[in-house]
Amino acid sequence: MTATLTPPTSSDTTPHEPYRPKQRTPFAYWRSRFDVKASPYLYIAPFFVLFGLVGLFPLVYTFVVSLNEWNLLSGPAGFVGLDNYVAELTDPFFWNSLFNTVSIFLLSAIPQLVGAVLIAAVLDQNIRAKTFWRMSVLIPYVVTPVAVTLIFSSAFDEKYGLINNVLQTLSIDPVMWKTETLPSHLAIASMVNWRWTGYNALILLAAMQAVPRDIYESAALDGAGPVRRFFSMTLPSIRPTMIFVVITATVGGLQIFTEPKLFNPTTATPGGPQRQYQTTVLYLWDLAFNRQNFGKASAVAWLLFLIIVLFGVLNFLISRRIASVESRFIAKKAIKKGKRS
Amino acid sequence: MSLSRRTKAVAAVAGAAAIALLATGCSAGDSSSSGGSGDKVELTVTTFGTMGYDDLYAQYEADHPNITIKPTNIDTGDNAKTDWQTKAAAGAGLPDVQAVEEGWLSAVMQVSDQFTDLKDYGADEIKDRWVDWKLAQATDKDGRIIGYGSDIGPEGLCYNRTAFEAAGLPTDREEVATLFGGDDATWDKYFEVGQQYKAATGKAFYDQSGFLWNAMVNQQPEGYYTKDGELNVEGNKDLEKLWTTLSSATESGLSANQTAWDWGKGKAFTDQTFATFVCPGWMLGVVKGQVTAAGGDASTGWDFANVFPGGAANWGGSFLTVPTQSKHPKEAAELAAYLTDAKSQATAFGVAGTFPSVTAAQTDPAVTGTNELSTFFNDAPIGEILAQRADGVVAQYKGPDDSVIQSQVFGPAIQQIDSGKADGAAAWDNALELLNQLVVNK
Repeated sequence: MTATLTPPTSSDTTPHEPYRPKQRTPFAYWRSRFDVKASPYLYIAPFFVLFGLVGLFPLVYTFVVSLNEWNLLSGPAGFVGLDNYVAELTDPFFWNSLFNTVSIFLLSAIPQLVGAVLIAAVLDQNIRAKTFWRMSVLIPYVVTPVAVTLIFSSAFDEKYGLINNVLQTLSIDPVMWKTETLPSHLAIASMVNWRWTGYNALILLAAMQAVPRDIYESAALDGAGPVRRFFSMTLPSIRPTMIFVVITATVGGLQIFTEPKLFNPTTATPGGPQRQYQTTVLYLWDLAFNRQNFGKASAVAWLLFLIIVLFGVLNFLISRRIASVESRFIAKKAIKKGKRS
Repeated sequence: MSLSRRTKAVAAVAGAAAIALLATGCSAGDSSSSGGSGDKVELTVTTFGTMGYDDLYAQYEADHPNITIKPTNIDTGDNAKTDWQTKAAAGAGLPDVQAVEEGWLSAVMQVSDQFTDLKDYGADEIKDRWVDWKLAQATDKDGRIIGYGSDIGPEGLCYNRTAFEAAGLPTDREEVATLFGGDDATWDKYFEVGQQYKAATGKAFYDQSGFLWNAMVNQQPEGYYTKDGELNVEGNKDLEKLWTTLSSATESGLSANQTAWDWGKGKAFTDQTFATFVCPGWMLGVVKGQVTAAGGDASTGWDFANVFPGGAANWGGSFLTVPTQSKHPKEAAELAAYLTDAKSQATAFGVAGTFPSVTAAQTDPAVTGTNELSTFFNDAPIGEILAQRADGVVAQYKGPDDSVIQSQVFGPAIQQIDSGKADGAAAWDNALELLNQLVVNK
């Protein structure tokens, strides 16, 4: 940030200014200088102070903890360098948790985005009671995840759950939703999808509405049907928003905790009897609070942080590439349009 | 999924919270500022589950005008453990009186110096009130008494009369006790009766294997650790033999492979999915709660027999401790002593079904008489039966990782035999592998 005003210096005052009686007092001068230079920083300071307090400090402190052998209750027991990281990177349970996280993430993110785009496209049409439909898709997002998990957990119950009861009346074998890997991932992904699809749909809808209508009209006049218009015009136009949605879904998906934690809350090992759906955050919680290994839990937290940063950078690179393609695409359009008119 | 999609909103909320903290900062400080003994003292108490103390608090406040009690009750023992651990690790925020469950007592004992030695506040004068093993559990390795025992969990056998009748087995609770071998009841006999039941009805005999395994281990003079604190699972012939007995019974179909603590929201208790159930005193309230939740009542047929396979066993029970963080250890110790005296424990039993650890309370008419719970169990003399079931219980040494071994080493193995995914031998090997990974090479 640069200051827009340059304070007057003696060399600036030209001799043909006789009406200026004296120099401004140093105090007023410094005050105004301070105001100009520092005020903007003061205005934004609260956020950064809070971020430092509740974001940066825990981050650094967690790193310090991760370099020590550290029992949750009895405290630090010696510096071990990167041993905790090495131990976790060779621990099959860490990799199991990472596999579960990515699996649940993919099972939730992909159907969720496809569904959100379709819902947004429908809501973008001229339908009756627009506001009603738009608010309706947001309702699952308003419900607290704990309540969502309780309801889904009951429906997915293996012996008494609604879904298996229906399957059995149709003479289909019951599915072991809570003790087998793929079914449990599907069940948890369904909770995530239920909660987030509508939210993402609304964001994508906003992007769709920003697409100039005259492009659609000219395309329609050129004979492009609705499907063609959707794939060739709507989708490319909302790409930056898609990238945003993908990034937030990635960050959130890698940190999933509530759903697997409460999916089967009575199980002895958090995340399923054989850790079938123990995600990484759940694993680190288990390490810290059941196994009291604060050092290793902190190491896992940092590993997860690095993985999320990695995903974020990847997303950023992809999005920058797409954005540049985007601008070329729009520039070409503009040229074409110019030629036509 | 994503928890912080809108950084700005979060910042705004955080800002508001920070201001609120500043505004309330002074009032939070007030409670900890202590003065002379005549001054007003506010004591914070953290309990969990149902401990039946509410009326006792009111009584204590009436008797001690300078004391105000601020109770917090946490829903389950596990959540209370997390709460305690977090505050203990942070070094601040613990109450003056903290209830501790037997299941995580071993974790507490690791840091017993963070708890006040109650001998400094008169524990020696009252230590004879408890059954001796309860006092032993609350004594740390340096001989400091860090907790006053509240309830204990002597185990008896719950059984379903209707189910027993359908299988042609006796239904009278004394005949049932004899059926399982009375005072000489063994696990072999229990599984033998189970086979008879299974042959007659084709149904499972117990809900799942975990509670049985828990009882089997707790009955041993030494469990997962030796008395000297050495880990003792691999190569422990006693445990291995018990595991074989349990897993072969389970493999023959005696387990209903239910999810413990869920039981289909209680439905498994009402549709005769299983016929017997492991019942420490406090579990009677759980059974009643489950049956009621699924729409059943006393006529569902649950009864309580004065017998337990393998002899006397204890599961659970709690202690009241005074963390060293407390600013009023003297007043806190006095309150803990009051809440655990014979009269208070008898009162709590009437409210919450928690069986007293104080000998005098075990014969109190409020405990031995009939109450709501005994009506539910076909007028079984619950208090009397539990008092007899408490006879012969010994305090087993629990090592620092006892609860991890119980839940994360044997929990998965139990699930494997219950669901038929592995036979007993394979599940035992899996358990040992988990033990090496989670406990030995942690």
